[in-house]
Amino acid sequence: MAKTETKYKNKSNILSDEEVRNLVMARLSVLSQDTMISLGEEGSFTRDEMLERIKEGDEVGEKLAEIQLEWLRSFKNNSSYEIACD
Amino acid sequence: MKLLVTRPEHDPTTRYISCWAGVIINLAKCKGFRVLDLHRGKANRKEFEGRMKKLHPELIFLNGHGNDKSIAGHDNETLVGLEDNHQVLSGKVTYALACSAGKLLGPAIVKEEAIFIGYSDKFIFMHDFKYMSKPLQDPKAKPFMEASNQVMISLLKGHEPQEASRRSKEKFKEHYKLLSSEADSDSSQMAQFLWWNMRHQVCLGNDGKNN
Repeated sequence: MAKTETKYKNKSNILSDEEVRNLVMARLSVLSQDTMISLGEEGSFTRDEMLERIKEGDEVGEKLAEIQLEWLRSFKNNSSYEIACD
Repeated sequence: MKLLVTRPEHDPTTRYISCWAGVIINLAKCKGFRVLDLHRGKANRKEFEGRMKKLHPELIFLNGHGNDKSIAGHDNETLVGLEDNHQVLSGKVTYALACSAGKLLGPAIVKEEAIFIGYSDKFIFMHDFKYMSKPLQDPKAKPFMEASNQVMISLLKGHEPQEASRRSKEKFKEHYKLLSSEADSDSSQMAQFLWWNMRHQVCLGNDGKNN
């Protein structure tokens, strides 16, 4: 866990990687239009607002990218898969 | 037994968590708890500290925005802050449905012989624009709120805090499994955020155990 945090706490430039940005946008772009995501004090965002934030690469976009990457990484160490199967 | 609940309501996020905290208030009353409900404008620092000092509630349920060092009330007024007034939760069992307070504030609180259940990073949930006026009926918010509320349900039933957190994580898993087997993209995204919340829920206290 410490290693994962160290790696992905470099939050300021996750979205500078174009492949990562495209991946996060592709995943969120297929959400239904009425869906909103609450990100604490940053507020609640519609799909289109989130896509804008990711394009801008601001704190909200960076957090969404961080979650996406940690999620994908969890498949590598099987933690998500194990939850689904236990 | 007394339960103190803070329920600010000044934006969509606090509106949702406040409505779902209402479910816990009803359950607590049914179980014979005296409930001190600091709702909307009453979720301010003066009321909070006053009730804590005068009425000594044993169980605390804080709902609101948070960060590493503080938990807020109505209009984001700080109710509990690190190296400010965090000793107010000394000796209490607290569940904070607030972002990130489990990171620095929680560990400081448990040095005061307290137990703290919360989140070490953002608590994220999905909801549906169509249900903004009726959060309790929102099918997208329900898995998140049910899993969170499981902490309080278990505490009200008399379970130990570590067990309450474990049961909440089981509820997150239960919803995760159901949603990750669905084919639609909304369900898949919901599953991902449930996993995130479950991963960041912490139970601190009792000789430094972190469940």
